[in-house]
This record gives sequence, structure tokens and C-alpha cells, in this order.
Amino acid sequence: MVNLDVAGMSTMDVNAKLRDLIQDNDEIVVENPLSVHNFATALKGQGRITVKGSTGFYTAGFLQGPTIVVEGSTGLYTADNMGAGELIVNKNTGSNCAPSLVGGNVVIRGNSGSRAGWGMKGGNLIVCGDVGMWAGKMSLDGRIILLGKVGNGIGESMYNGVIHVLDPAVEDKLGGNVKVVPIDDKEKKEVEALFKKYDIDCGVDDFRSIVPKVYGRHEYLLFKPTHKQKGAN
Amino acid sequence: MCGIAGIISKKSDTLANDLIEMLKQIPHRGTDATGIAVYEERNDIQIRVALTDSKYQKDLEEIVQRYGVVSNSKAYNGVGIFTFYEASLAMGSENIKPLNWDIDSHPQLCVHSLGQRIKVYKDQGSADDLKKCHKINVGTCSHGIGHVRLATESVEDVNAAHPFVSYLQPNLSIVHNGQFTNYFKIRRALESKGVRFTTNNDTEMATHFIAYQMKEKGHDLEGALNVALDAFDGIFTILAATEDQIGAVRDRLAFKPVLIYEAENGMVIYASEQIAIAPIVPDVYATEMDPGGVKIWSI
Amino acid sequence: MSEEKEKKRTMPKDIQRGVYSAETIADIRIKAETGRHRIRGCGSTRKYPTMEDLLILPSQLSRLSVDTYREDCRTQTVLGSRYAKKPLIIETPIMISGMSYGALSKEAKIAMAKATDIVGTSICNGEGGLLPEERDNSYKQVVQITPSRIGFSLRNLEAADAIELIIGIGAKPGLAGHLMGSKITKEIGAFRQLPPGIDLHSHPRHGDIFGADDMLLKIKELRDVTNWEVPIFVKIAAGRVREDVKIAAKTGADGIVIDGAEGGTGAAPVVASSQLGIPTMPALVQAVRALEEMGLKQEISLIVSGGIKDGSDVAKALALGADAVAIGTGAMIAMGCTVCLKCQEGKCAFGIGTQDPELRKRLDIDVAALRVANYIQAMTYEAVVLAKAAGKSALANMEREDLRSLTLEACAMTGVPLIGTNYTFTEPFGYF
Repeated sequence: MVNLDVAGMSTMDVNAKLRDLIQDNDEIVVENPLSVHNFATALKGQGRITVKGSTGFYTAGFLQGPTIVVEGSTGLYTADNMGAGELIVNKNTGSNCAPSLVGGNVVIRGNSGSRAGWGMKGGNLIVCGDVGMWAGKMSLDGRIILLGKVGNGIGESMYNGVIHVLDPAVEDKLGGNVKVVPIDDKEKKEVEALFKKYDIDCGVDDFRSIVPKVYGRHEYLLFKPTHKQKGAN
Repeated sequence: MCGIAGIISKKSDTLANDLIEMLKQIPHRGTDATGIAVYEERNDIQIRVALTDSKYQKDLEEIVQRYGVVSNSKAYNGVGIFTFYEASLAMGSENIKPLNWDIDSHPQLCVHSLGQRIKVYKDQGSADDLKKCHKINVGTCSHGIGHVRLATESVEDVNAAHPFVSYLQPNLSIVHNGQFTNYFKIRRALESKGVRFTTNNDTEMATHFIAYQMKEKGHDLEGALNVALDAFDGIFTILAATEDQIGAVRDRLAFKPVLIYEAENGMVIYASEQIAIAPIVPDVYATEMDPGGVKIWSI
Repeated sequence: MSEEKEKKRTMPKDIQRGVYSAETIADIRIKAETGRHRIRGCGSTRKYPTMEDLLILPSQLSRLSVDTYREDCRTQTVLGSRYAKKPLIIETPIMISGMSYGALSKEAKIAMAKATDIVGTSICNGEGGLLPEERDNSYKQVVQITPSRIGFSLRNLEAADAIELIIGIGAKPGLAGHLMGSKITKEIGAFRQLPPGIDLHSHPRHGDIFGADDMLLKIKELRDVTNWEVPIFVKIAAGRVREDVKIAAKTGADGIVIDGAEGGTGAAPVVASSQLGIPTMPALVQAVRALEEMGLKQEISLIVSGGIKDGSDVAKALALGADAVAIGTGAMIAMGCTVCLKCQEGKCAFGIGTQDPELRKRLDIDVAALRVANYIQAMTYEAVVLAKAAGKSALANMEREDLRSLTLEACAMTGVPLIGTNYTFTEPFGYF
């Protein structure tokens, strides 16, 4: 195990140091992150990095292998374009979490802001707390698991993929072109396995799934009149 | 495009400095200009004016002396070519608006702040530049807002930096992150009602609009910000401060962030990014404000 | 052999490209036969400079665009709130303008009324009186007060959601309604209180309004009739726009409709359509400038018509300063009109511009209503696409600073800068 104090370092230096250390060390503990941006960008390899504090924007962007545990919070655009590996955030994250996620697991133990899982293409995003509006917008594949309250417009224009929700009031907040279906047994087992792996204490029976109404196709209305029509329609 | 910051902290002696430290953390959000507006606990009216050249100082003093008696005046060069003038004024508060109007009528002068508690420091360059060139001279403050600017559509000129004030409601200050897309339409509507604009900056429009709602339509800050939420189009995350309130308004599509941290002791911190909160409270999570909403804090 | 070769010379080919074209020759011959001006439907066939010569600036880095398919853009429009207690609220800024029952068949009027119910907009009855079926089927009914007062009585005003006081229309400014005898059937004659089979040449001036001073009192009278509830619009053909708009504003109108020279009609003297009045785009700019000069732009609603054909015209008209637009010919084409330019004969093969019962059977009311509604909806979609690309979340937020002129003429006429420059000929029409 090795300690790394990154106080005052530029993002270029932080990433260079991480890439260097990950080659020979299985465990790295990072101190004084002070909300540094672009932490562990495109980091490859195998290893576990524990961050004692909060990081800033684009944390673990393009991550390709390691496991990163952030004990504090992260900023916007966390785990953008991540390909493989794990990112676990103990507190909260900002909006646009895991945009264009390609693979790997992102676990947020606190709350997430709006537009979580935007355009996901694979992998798993788990948010134990609440999420903001437009979660799972335009996702192409992948799985999102939301334990807390969801915001309006969930699953807006999803092409594919699935969102598992616990929120009982989710029907009032659906986005365009999605519907709520019961969770099937195969999915239940997969969710259970993920919960076990990340020590999330939650039963899987009350989950429901949000999937696209029509695979790949969108109904859209650019003109939404609200008047009362006279004619029988 | 820009970064915003704000602090509510009653009886703070370090508020102005804290704001500048916060703004220092987000230079990537803009280095065209930096500015802060703080509300001091003091008894006299103070004024801060930017002059395009020091030779206009006597014009300025001549206007000011029509309304009140000047004391503790000071003039110095800013980061660029502008000269800054600050002074205390002994005058009745009913003279604040006419004095503000008269100074702004002079093409080479621009009021940065004029009021019983408000004080605005803004100049081109970074937060470090602001601190270096301006001796930030404030006493105990209760709240303030700050801003770093990345100019999108109007010129990089000191008077177009935020925080903005309006002669219609001189104790109101506004910072804004985003870009309005119906600025010209609202500007025309306000000008047809007699409101005078001095820059082409869209945030000046927001300031006059909110001030107009408060002065002419009798709204309080919350009412004015709600009217603004419906009238403005485009991207806007706005912090508005008056002598006893701070209000935040965010557009419906919520592109630009504002994080809010409310401590148990009554302190409230506003910032565009988590990293800006770090100098004040090192490791705490701030919540994102809801889209399409207005929130008010009373000091 | 060589003799024949000598005789075969190349004949010169002289093509008349000047004054005496085939059109002019035919025209002169007709006048030689009839001794009078020619009357024809559909308005001018000239090529006018239109809003096609304006382009819209999209948002890229300095502004963010609104997601075309997933984020909303408001289209609801409120008109006439200056004095009226019940302003006209429609779901899209596209209205159907006045086309008379008489010029059009009953089926065509009913179909257009039904279309307004589907999309939530208004239709104007036109000169020939208020057809009860039109009022029963329309969502919002604008009622015209024409100079001739054909088919007009108190009943019309009581059924109105808005009143349109006609001073003139763009297709024949300074003239008035023309309906040829072939279209004045027994039914139409009874409806309009006219003898059937005689050509109608309506009166061009109101019998109870001679000038602006009278109009001020007249509008007040109309307000008293309708209890100050109903918006009153004044429709002006585009001519001396600046002076006319100022007068209309001073007389207390809630809204002004400007009808440009591209406007259509059932029948008009050809020479009037092609030589009188100015096109819609410069008229709109003049009207906006006039209202701003008076400081009344926020209070008075401005509606334009004349050649509005698609959503880009709608978006640009709103950007220039209109609050709504009205379509006429476009709605007819959606129902099947092919612009054959023979409306005045009353032999419309599609059952639209005819009173012949056999021809009228060809128009299926419900199919036609759906087609017109689709057309209006599609235009609204187009306008929304453009507004969102410019970063707006409401159609009404389009502004003239979003436009640039493609040609020097458009730049000169509108005061919108030439593309790629900040150049205008006269005072810029905005903050450029």
C-alpha cells in the first residue's frame, strides 16, 4: 500500500502520478484531494485507490480497470465514458453522473443530481439515495438501479436498457416513451448480486423496471395544445 | 461560462476575503473579470465608481458634491486602464437614486455600488488580480455574492463585469451564470418604459428587470424572481442579493449548476462547484438546487 | 444542289423578352374585346421579396440550443390584451384569416372551422356573413366588420371571440369585396340579402366611419356593444403602413392586422392585385417601427398575413415583431386547391371556391379539416424546430437579433444586417 498526497498538484501531475503508482501497487490511498478535477482520468490497470476526501468534475472519466473509492463526494460528470472497473462514492455526486457509461460499475451511496446515467451504453449505475430529474435520459443500454426518490422525466427517450426503481410514485414522473413493468427473476438475481458485492442492504422484491415502450422508436410532439376540443374525437 | 459564489455569515469579518478565496478555486470558469458584492454593517452611505480615466475624477466629485458631503475619498488604478474611486457620503438616503442616475449619465463614469450597506469590487482579470490591485476595505459583513466571468456575447469591459447593480433599486446586486436568449426583446420592453441601459451585457437587463419588478410593480425579491423565471429565456442561474435577503433562481432546463450548503450555525454557502466551497468548509457535500425554481434566504 | 444550298439561309430568332410578352399580348386582346379591367381570383402572381431572404442564426457555443424532440417550446399565444377583458388565447400563433362564405363553399368553411377546433386556433368569417355551422365548429371565431356590412348584424358580434374591423386587404387595397354573379346562388343571395346572379362590388369605405376621428368613437361603441370583453383588431392592407399603424393605435385598437400584397382573394381586378400595396416583410418592419416609435409595441398585438406558407415564415415573422400570423391561400392548398387562378368563375374542381352543388360534393369535410389541421400543426412544428435551434423555449421569444439578411434588398428593407456583416443601409432594426 502506498500513500499519495495530492494537495496543490495540477490535474496533469495527479494523473501522471496515479498512472505511475498503479503499475506496481495494489493499493493507493490519496490524501487531500480538495475537489481536484479530472481525477484518475483514463486510468488503466488493476488496483484499488481510496480517496480520503472529495473530488471535482470528471472523476474517473474514461476509467479502464481500477477500483476507485471516494470517501467524500464527487462533482459533475462523474465517471464519464467509463469503460471498465468500479467507482464507489460514499457521499453524494453532482448532476450528469456516469454520462455515456460504457462498462463497469458506478455506485453512489448518497444522492445524485439531475441527468444521471445520460446516454448510458452499458455497465451498471447504482444510486442509493435520491436522483434529480431526467435520470437515464436517452440511454442506449446498461442498467440503472435507483433506491431513493426519483425526479421528473425518468427514462426520457430511452432507446434500450433498464432502470430499476423503488419509488412508489414513479408513475407520475415518467419521461416520454417509457413504461413500468414488474422486475423479472433473472434481473432480481443480478441486482441481488450487485447489492451483495457492494454491501447495499436492500431487498429486491419491491423493485419495478422502467423500459422503453417501443424499442428504439420515439413518439414526439413538438406542438402540445391544451384546449378543450368541441368535436367528438 | 462563468462561476458564481455567495456566502451568508452574520457578523463575519472575513466575508470579502472568503468570497475571493472561493473564486480563486474556479479560474477555469472565467478569467475575463472577477467581482464581489458584500453587505457591511455600517451606518454611512458609501460609493464606488469606475472611471475610464483619472482625469474625470473632478467631474465625478462635482456631481457627488451636489448631493452630499464627501469624506475618506480615495482613487487608484485598477488592473487595467480604469480608475476606481471610493468614498463615504453624508447625505439623506432619498438622494441615493438621483445621485446614481446622475453619475451613470456621464459616459465615462459608472457606479459600481452606492448604498447604505452594499459595496462592490469588480475589475478585469482573476481573483488574484482583484485582491492585488484593490485594497478590499470592508468591515463586518452579513452576506455577499461573487462572480468570475467568461464573456460570451458582450465585450470584456470592467463595467460589464458582475455583480451588477441598478439605479432603480441600488441595494440590489446580481450575479449570473449563463446566457439569456431573449435579452434584446426584454431590453426593448424595458427601454420603452424609460429604463436606461449603459452596457450590452445581458445581465444588466436581468438586474434592471428584477429591480423594475421590485420598484414599479411592488414585488418583493421572491415575487420579482418568480416573474423573472417566467420572462427570461435561455440559460440562467442567478444569485440576487438585497440588504436583507439572498435569492437564487434557476431556469427549467438547469444547465448551469449552483450548489448550496446550509450549516447548522446559520451560515449558507453558494457555489458553482464543490471545489469553491473547499476553502471555507473543507469537506462537505452541498445540494444542487432544483431546476425551474426560486429560493429565498432571509438574513 | 448548290442552288438549294444557297436558298437555305439561317433564319434569325428574335424572342420578345421585353414589354410585349405573351401575357401582355393576351391581356391587350381581352381588353380590346371587353372594354374593361379584368377580374381574377387569387391575388397577385408577381414575385415579391419575401422572408425567404432572411436567415435565422442558430445557437452553438455562445448559447445552448433546446433539445428539439425532448424539451418543450411554448406556442400558446395571447392577443388583444390591451383593453379587452377576455383576450384571444390560441394554442399556436397561426390563425386562419377571413375568406368569405360565397367566395368559398359551405363545405370549405365548415372544414376550416373544424380544423381550428383540432389545433386550437381561430378562424375569421370573411365578408359574407357568419355561417352558423362555421361558428358551431370553430374553436375561436373572429368576426369581420367589413365596409359593405354584407350579412352583418348584432348577432355576429355576440358570437365573436374577437372582432376584425376591415379597412382593406392586401390583395386589393383601397378596393373592396368582389363576388361574381356566377357564385351568387339563391342560397348565397338570401344569406347576403343580394339579388342572385348579379356581380357584387362591395363598398370600399365604412358607411359609419369616415376617418380616424370617427373610428376612435366607433371602436368605443363596439366595446360598449361587447361589454369591453372582446378584443378589437383593425385590419389594414399594407400601404402607408407607418401612418396607418399610428392612427390605428391612437384610435384604441387592441391589435392590428397587416395584410401584405402577397395576400389572396376570391376575385379582384388584376391590376389592383399586382400594382397596389407593398409586400408583407417590409410592411411588418414598418409596422413594428411605428409601434415602437409610439411606445405601444408591448400593448398592441401585431398580426401579419399575406404569403405565409410554412413554419420558417412564422418564426421569422415572430422574430421581426409579429405576435401571430394568419394563413388563407395556404389553408386552401392544404384542402386541395391547385392555385389555378380561376376562383372568380366559381367552377372550382375541388369544391372549395364554388357554389355549384355537384362540385361541392367533391370536398369531403372531415378529410379536408384534418388536412388543414395537419398543415397548421406541421407549420407549428417547423417554427418550433427553428426556435429551439436558436435557443428559445417559447416561440414568442424569437427576436430580430436572431435574423440576418441574405440579400442587399432584404437588408435595405428590414434594417436587419447583411449576412456576415453588421451592415445596414439605414438605422439598424435592433441591437446589432
